[in-house]
Amino acid sequence: MHTIAEHMTADHKACDNEFAVAEQAALEGNWSEAETAFKTFNDDMARHFRMEEEVLFPALVSAGGPSGPVHIMRMEHTQIRGLLEQMAAAVAQKDEQEYGGLSETLLMVMQQHNNKEENILYPIADQILAKERETLFDRMQAA
Amino acid sequence: MKLASLSAEQAPPISVPLRFFIAAPIFLALAALLLAMADGNPFAEPHAPAQIAATHHVTLGFMAMVMLGAIQQLLPVVIGSPMPASRLVAWLTFLPLIAGTLSLSAGFMLGKSELLNLSWPLLGLAFLVFIAASLTSLARATAKNATKTALLLSILSLAGAVTLGVLLARGYAAGLPLPYARLAAAHISLALGGWVLLLVIGVSYQVVPMFQLTPNYPKWLTAGLAPAIFAALLLNLALLVPESVPQWARFIAESIFWSLAGCFAVATIRLQNQRRRRVPDAALSFFRLGMLSLLFAALFSLAALLLPAAGDQLRTLSALAFLLGFALSLIQGMLYKIVPFLVWFHLFRGGISAGIPNMKNIIPEAWMWRHLWLHGGTLLAALLAPWWNVAAWLVMLGLLLQGALLGYGVFTGIAVYRRTLRKIEQTSP
Repeated sequence: MHTIAEHMTADHKACDNEFAVAEQAALEGNWSEAETAFKTFNDDMARHFRMEEEVLFPALVSAGGPSGPVHIMRMEHTQIRGLLEQMAAAVAQKDEQEYGGLSETLLMVMQQHNNKEENILYPIADQILAKERETLFDRMQAA
Repeated sequence: MKLASLSAEQAPPISVPLRFFIAAPIFLALAALLLAMADGNPFAEPHAPAQIAATHHVTLGFMAMVMLGAIQQLLPVVIGSPMPASRLVAWLTFLPLIAGTLSLSAGFMLGKSELLNLSWPLLGLAFLVFIAASLTSLARATAKNATKTALLLSILSLAGAVTLGVLLARGYAAGLPLPYARLAAAHISLALGGWVLLLVIGVSYQVVPMFQLTPNYPKWLTAGLAPAIFAALLLNLALLVPESVPQWARFIAESIFWSLAGCFAVATIRLQNQRRRRVPDAALSFFRLGMLSLLFAALFSLAALLLPAAGDQLRTLSALAFLLGFALSLIQGMLYKIVPFLVWFHLFRGGISAGIPNMKNIIPEAWMWRHLWLHGGTLLAALLAPWWNVAAWLVMLGLLLQGALLGYGVFTGIAVYRRTLRKIEQTSP
């Protein structure tokens, strides 16, 4: 039986892998592969954010969890979405330079964000939401 | 980690770290000039006044300068706990560190005890404030992780190194009959083997997997390595106390320390070989060169134990590999990540992404690669410098150019920040 922290951290790692594959292809100018890889990465990031914003965060706040930090996490999601949109434009324009600079920036932002979630927010969620973990996983799967 | 560390306001203002980062390269260039002023080959005489002055420009003026600025940024990321009173701490460390380093090196170069007596209270103040602020931050961090332990041991080592440094400067200025060689050995061990090495280890546990996309360090390693290194360091220090100790005891103590340091280098290089992000990255190459240098520093020191006839030469090589190879590579590589990120981060705080340069448009990557090659060349020259005067001159030239290049890079970052900020302010109502 996985904890919320384990489950969500594994999802972060999967996204990291997809990030690296897309970046490599884009910097090599292999745009057909980069397009597919970026789409996979972008879709999975969007799905991860939906799992958090539509299921995990509301459950956490309504169970009496800290709303301030949840708000910060949502703001950082917006920041990351902004970078992903710019990266999508760079893929469409086949602009290696631009993609490389944006992905470098995204990596720094995304990893610090993940680190905070993995070390602070998810452990809190595991404490507060222990009883409803199973239903949460099902709902997140559907998100 | 604490909830407070999820606050948006955890990061200190950008001016706090940048003032340290722009001052540091100047000291690197000054170190080169001090070496050039020495009589004869300063690398052949590690205890010559010019060499001591130049070394402290590198260790205090460059390394400590960057680390004191960077730790304010790093603590919230690696242990989730910011430093208290960041602006005040910045001023009370920055100014005394500059004035203290300059008066210390001038005191050594000119042989003036008044300048040495000016330097130690200033340096003592800078480090006292820094140590107090970082211990407060560590005490407030609720998480118990291996990074926190390593940082704590690192800061304790720094406290010891500073105490001994103050004692040495004071004693030397007053002409007191102190056991200078042994005190200096303890001072160097605590500063480099304790403060620098343990700091790098603690930060690497988090930063290497996080930003280089490698697997995590093995649990057994993170749990045991920093305390083991610290214990080995204390054992080495204890052996300095008696007038004479059996050769085998020193042999064992030193070989334990250097084997552990070498283990860390090998573990890090192995993790980096498994990194999922494989695109060329100048900062990562600096980091890898640094780890390779640490491995060589360890091998040179271990070889010195096995070949006592060549012991002095091998120890000099180890010191050069540690200082110029390991410490300098890591610090410069880190700056090439942290400066562009800070500029981007503080510009983005306004929440508008249009018109904000991405990280690679802040310091041109081509300059970072040039700097890496220059740094590699300087390091190779340094390993030949004790025996070849031409190489000694190449090291001085290399350090001078590196100071200039790094200064140019940081300055470019600041200029991009100011320019973009002005543009944002003009366009927003």
